Amino acid sequence: MPTYSLTVNGRARTVEAPADMPLLWVLRDRLQLFGTKYGCGIGACGACTVHVNGQAVRSCSLPVAAVAAARITTIEGLSRDGAHPAQQAWIEEDVAQCGFCQPGMIMEAAALLRARPQPTDGEIDGAFASHICRCGTYNRLRAAVHRAAELGGKR
Amino acid sequence: MPVSRREFIAAGASAAGLWLGVRVPELAAAAPIATFDPNVFVSIAPNDVVTVWVIRLEMGQGVRTLLPMIIAEELGADLARVHVEQASPGGRFRTVRLHTSGSSSSSDTYRQLRIAGAAAREMLVAAAAAHWKVDAATCRVELGAVIHGPTNRRRTFGQLATAAATLPVPRTPTLKDPATFTVLGRPTRRTDGRKIVTGRAQYGLDVKWRGMLYASIVRSPTLGATLKGFDAKAALRVPGVRHVIAVNSGVHHGVAVLASDTWTAMKGRARLHVEWEPGAGAGFDSAEFLRGMPQRWDGKLYPIRDEGDATAELARSATRLEATYEFPFQAHAPLETMNCTAHVRETDAEVWVPTQSDVRTLKQAALASGLPEDRIRAHHALMGGGFGRRLFADYVAEAVQLSAKLKVPVQVLWTREDDMRNGYFQPATMERFRAGIDAGGRLQALAHQTTTSELTIYDLHDGRNIWTAPPKPPRADNAIASGGSPWGAFDNPYTVPHLRVDCADATSPVPVGPWRAVEYPSTVFGRESFLDEIAVATGKDPIALRLELLPRDVKLVGTQRIDRARLAASLEAVRERAGWGTPFARERDGRLWGRGVACSVYHTGSYIAMVAELSVARDLSDVRVHRIVAAVDCGIPLNPLGVEGQVESGIAWGLSATLLGKVDFVNGAAVQGSFRDFRVLTIDQMPKVETHILPSQAAPRGFGEHPVPMVAPAVANAVFAACGKRVRSLPITAEGMRRA
Repeated sequence: MPTYSLTVNGRARTVEAPADMPLLWVLRDRLQLFGTKYGCGIGACGACTVHVNGQAVRSCSLPVAAVAAARITTIEGLSRDGAHPAQQAWIEEDVAQCGFCQPGMIMEAAALLRARPQPTDGEIDGAFASHICRCGTYNRLRAAVHRAAELGGKR
Repeated sequence: MPVSRREFIAAGASAAGLWLGVRVPELAAAAPIATFDPNVFVSIAPNDVVTVWVIRLEMGQGVRTLLPMIIAEELGADLARVHVEQASPGGRFRTVRLHTSGSSSSSDTYRQLRIAGAAAREMLVAAAAAHWKVDAATCRVELGAVIHGPTNRRRTFGQLATAAATLPVPRTPTLKDPATFTVLGRPTRRTDGRKIVTGRAQYGLDVKWRGMLYASIVRSPTLGATLKGFDAKAALRVPGVRHVIAVNSGVHHGVAVLASDTWTAMKGRARLHVEWEPGAGAGFDSAEFLRGMPQRWDGKLYPIRDEGDATAELARSATRLEATYEFPFQAHAPLETMNCTAHVRETDAEVWVPTQSDVRTLKQAALASGLPEDRIRAHHALMGGGFGRRLFADYVAEAVQLSAKLKVPVQVLWTREDDMRNGYFQPATMERFRAGIDAGGRLQALAHQTTTSELTIYDLHDGRNIWTAPPKPPRADNAIASGGSPWGAFDNPYTVPHLRVDCADATSPVPVGPWRAVEYPSTVFGRESFLDEIAVATGKDPIALRLELLPRDVKLVGTQRIDRARLAASLEAVRERAGWGTPFARERDGRLWGRGVACSVYHTGSYIAMVAELSVARDLSDVRVHRIVAAVDCGIPLNPLGVEGQVESGIAWGLSATLLGKVDFVNGAAVQGSFRDFRVLTIDQMPKVETHILPSQAAPRGFGEHPVPMVAPAVANAVFAACGKRVRSLPITAEGMRRA
């Protein structure tokens, strides 16, 4: 079984895994990083969203072999104890209900805010159009992205 | 002074009231020696840490916030510093039922938790008064401390905990006057928000034990199919695959592939060759089932309501209306798929499971392991959505069976496709309405024929195989005795001189169970759509018609108490808030616009009226819902932020079923298997939601389900207002509008 040297949340990690194992399962089953969630396995729900070289990607559909040289950030590595503006805004707006989709949502928000520090509603809808929240927290989510933009601007 | 390990036995105000717990040795040993532990719900340590145990299960509805709020209110604790713990069955909670369903968490626990908090508060005050040698009446509590008013002396709960623990538990503590509430009624954010946004919240799947195997299970491809045989050779050749074992949850037969990680288990599973023996539901076709539904009403009918003589009145009415409404099978599709982690040892077992039912978890685990229930320790993890699906514990049976065979920890994870196709679906149902209208345009008779499926849930306590268990009489037989099913048909709130509601059994081979709001989504869709049709036929305003049919009184039906004045007040409030009477341009931006209304009571305790505002493309190719206004009366709004969140959530849920998703069965199998073909609402389709909470002093009623059922009829009525198309079958699609 091949061995991969990954950079996850700034730390070098070595994992043994079949080349086709999606990053999601490497994170969860090999590295015990449980914040990244399984929701569908086909990139249709966004619960598994992480950053690869700063881009939001669906880790359920990305083989580990493809990310061996990349910089990977998960929800656990986004900030120290929830200090990222998106996390702060999420708490302020009380977005989460069951919360299962929210790590993926927050990783998407963080990537969006980096690319578009003041996103419009249309840009937010575009970025989150294929994220599913079965609790329907969308309106608070949108408000939280705007709030995060404000918080980010002040930093 | 150390606390003796004495036992507090029931000192409650009522049977359903306070349960003052028995301290079990292992918990007492683990707890700090001088912890003040007056009852099972709360304890206070000398270091001022107040721990509240949440005796319902969290799935996003907010019990981990609301239940601590109730205790903090009466106790006088600082909620921000309360440590929240999830109760799990057994031990300290062995007589507490954690089972979470029917939007009942707040209404069922409100009084009980207030009494618990108040009892603890009175003991702390008594301890302080004794310490200061003053009259307890001169002391008050404030944010985790007792204060002696006249001298302004202060002792924290922690300082008093040890002494308080030696005092008798008051049997009838004085509860606070709700007018003086400082915690309840205040918009309060989730207590576990930070854990969720940092990825530290622990869901069922987020556990790993040394030596744990990961299982992926292929299940019966058609309803009721049984396992004939399987060839595991190819699967076992996948590096990392350890075992291939048959399982049977009582609902689904399956073959499990166990491996060193989830991915390898899934890969092994893909290489299995399994042979199945088709069962009772092999040929089931949902379209055919729905087509045949009206014939059910020609068979045995179970009377649900019978006031006046609707049949005779319909025969002599000047105008008669009739319409039939159709509700398809629906999947729950919570984002976290079913899963369970079990470790069965020689004489005991542990399970980690996100579930709504502690009761069924233990029953299933005992059945599957052969161990008595008291040797099984269940840990109830946070649920990534429940919506009724997690009232069943079939996934527990699978994990426990596998672990019992292998004697190693086993984690079973369902794929999305497994979850979508092997659910306990919302049953497909049909509602037929007939109205008799007199020459003056007054509704004189209303006849409603509904259908009910045997909700499998009532039959599954013992984990029997649902396919081979002997049939039981249709549930409709005792609907009235059991307190009013089907919901929405039985508790029709309107006053009509001649009202008749009948129910026919429409059981299918599809395992069914409660879906968010149980029977209301179908019955209320029919009822509130039909009210709109009556309004159109009689030239009345739909809100005015409803108000005409709602005398400001309390209607008692069976065990249900419908406060029609509260429902009417919700309608009046939504009329004003939605700007119902204001001019509304019907054609704008090249689209056709409409508004629609619907209202309903939820199981006697809460009342909602909803107005949807939407536009339809001129070529009827799509519907966009722009705004939904909800006026809600849920009794005392304990956490307004939570209520608003549930309204938005219920609307999103309702819109998914109104406009997007459904499940079809063809040849005994669910057609839809993923979020690509079972569509749910996404952010770009979410309307603006305005929630208006009506002030109320009535008892609180939970709110996780109630906002769902009004969505479909409000939207369908608005679609009619916009384009004149009356869609009576869900979901409302372009094709459905064109056909209407």
